[in-house]
Amino acid sequence: MTTAGLALRVGAGRWLGGLLAGAVGVAAVTTVVALLEPSLPALGLLPLYLLAVLPVAVRWGAGPAAVVSVASTVLLGYLFLPSSRRLWFAEVDNAAATGVFLVTAVVVGNLAARLRRAAEHSARLSAEQAALRRVATQVAREAPPEEVFATVVGEIGRLLGADSAAIVRLDPDGLSTVIAQDGDGPERLPVGSRWSIEPPLALGVALRTGEPARRDGYEEVPGEFAELLRQVGVRSSVAIPVVAGGRTWGALGAQRRGTAFPADAEQRIAEFTEIVAIAIANAESRTQLAASRARIIAATDATRRRLERDLHDGAQQRLVSLALELRQVESAVPAQVRADLDRMAGDLTEALDELRELSRGIHPVVLSEGGLGPALRAIARRAQVPVELDVRTAERFPEPVEVAAYYVVSEAVTNTTKHGGASYVEVTLDAGANALALRVRDDGAGGADPARGSGLTGLRDRVEALGGSIHVTSPAGAGTTIEVSLPLAR
Amino acid sequence: MIGGMLRRCLIVDDNERFLAVARTSLERDGLEVVGTASTVADALDKADRLRPDVVLVDVALGAESGFDLTRQLVERHPDLRARVVLISTRREEDYADLIALSPAAGFVWKAQLSAGAVRELVAGRP
Ligand SMILES: Nc1ncnc2c1ncn2[C@@H]1O[C@H](COP(=O)(O)OP(=O)(O)OP(=O)(O)O)[C@@H](O)[C@H]1O
Ligand SMILES: [Mg+2]
Repeated sequence: MTTAGLALRVGAGRWLGGLLAGAVGVAAVTTVVALLEPSLPALGLLPLYLLAVLPVAVRWGAGPAAVVSVASTVLLGYLFLPSSRRLWFAEVDNAAATGVFLVTAVVVGNLAARLRRAAEHSARLSAEQAALRRVATQVAREAPPEEVFATVVGEIGRLLGADSAAIVRLDPDGLSTVIAQDGDGPERLPVGSRWSIEPPLALGVALRTGEPARRDGYEEVPGEFAELLRQVGVRSSVAIPVVAGGRTWGALGAQRRGTAFPADAEQRIAEFTEIVAIAIANAESRTQLAASRARIIAATDATRRRLERDLHDGAQQRLVSLALELRQVESAVPAQVRADLDRMAGDLTEALDELRELSRGIHPVVLSEGGLGPALRAIARRAQVPVELDVRTAERFPEPVEVAAYYVVSEAVTNTTKHGGASYVEVTLDAGANALALRVRDDGAGGADPARGSGLTGLRDRVEALGGSIHVTSPAGAGTTIEVSLPLAR
Repeated sequence: MIGGMLRRCLIVDDNERFLAVARTSLERDGLEVVGTASTVADALDKADRLRPDVVLVDVALGAESGFDLTRQLVERHPDLRARVVLISTRREEDYADLIALSPAAGFVWKAQLSAGAVRELVAGRP
């Protein structure tokens, strides 16, 4: 069916409704007039018919209202005046009265209809504003894009009276992935499904041209997607491209089965696509930021690992061989020289120990070799306060996760020793289905403030770069608790 | 067998210079170095052929792990249980847990390696 055809049907519906309501109103007023007529002149009661005209004007517009006023005039003469005066309104004496009635009816009807339209318009605007505000609020509090998209399609579906609405992303291979969808009709596209969406489909046009598009009717449109729409009887579609970062990222579309979308539908969706674009840009920059943070940390860790290994393979290895040789020579030389050599070997051992201490701080070998359990126990053994370890997993995790967990415990234990005045530290490590949970608690002075140093801030960087979370609770006088959750992609 | 009867030794280490120094040191004290190896595969092969009384295993063998080698050695030659001695440039405390968990007799820091230290460790375990 064509747009014109649809509009005709809608118009006919309006007239029919208005005239029916008018007939009911006129009948009611006529009853009243019949009751009053014996004591009052019938013509004087004409204004009562305004009561029937007004509701029609308000609800169905000025056209039907005018018809109802004329009908009232004719009816009054036909029912309440002698047959000689049936055409009373044509009488010269009454022309003025009739004219005033008709003009009043039409003017009042027009005003009422306009008022109604204004009220409708403003209600629609405020509904739209409220919907936009809800979406904008979500974007502002950095809700995950999927959540924003789901809200957007829901709001659009409701505002446009659509049977379904969807957001699709244009993928590099030319197919489109459904990112969000609203509506439960058979034309709903499952989130995550992929389609070839090409012109002349409205979505296809929006995706290819970057311009808003509309289509009413799907006869003779090729393709799987059009076939689906045809099967379920979709009549009308509108689509608006979503442009993010200067390119067409995807599009937002809505479908209706019964009637066509109003002419301003595209314009009304457009405001949403801007917010969607912002949400996408935000999410992309957040992802990039996290990735670059993770890259920086990974690069630093790799450098530290290499440094430790170089120290081990190089300087330490040589010095160790040297120390061993010294001991051999020692046993072969006269006693007075032996004392000197012994002292030198002692010095060398000390130097080696210092070097070892240094490289241990650069990278904990035991972590890569044995995982978190042995590495945390090594921290506990070296600590200057008693550390109660509760490691509830013997699993190995991805290296960045293990390294992050290790540094959290290492920094927390160091802080406790340095600032806390605590009598003990409690460390709990547990692997859940989706995350590694780590908690370090001391019974010290509390009052930790990341702004005063770089240790806690460094931990936050590390943990957040992996998509994890860290919470430091440290009320003055009540100890310090650090809780960390590191996501595991299992 | 008691520690004093240990005579034949295999050293697994990927550092040439250390291998040379260690060989001199051990042999002077009567512990013959019957072979050296620098990779896990090489070490397993030599252990099969040479049947040493004791094997010294460096914890860090390039990209390979001395702990892994120790487990494999003991699996193939049960009589080597408590006859493998782990050695490293790093200190015992760096690996404490892993040493305790491995079937090795114990650990000697490379700077303090001697036939006496090896014999003591092996004899110290039943
Ligand atoms: N466990 C704790 N108990 C009491 N105060 C703490 C504790 N941990 C941290 N603090 C306080 O919070 C501040 C910040 O700690 P943070 O670890 O970030 O820095 P830092 O330890 O001072 O220096 P560094 O950069 O070497 O770690 C510390 O200066 C200290 O005053
Ligand atoms: Mg600190």
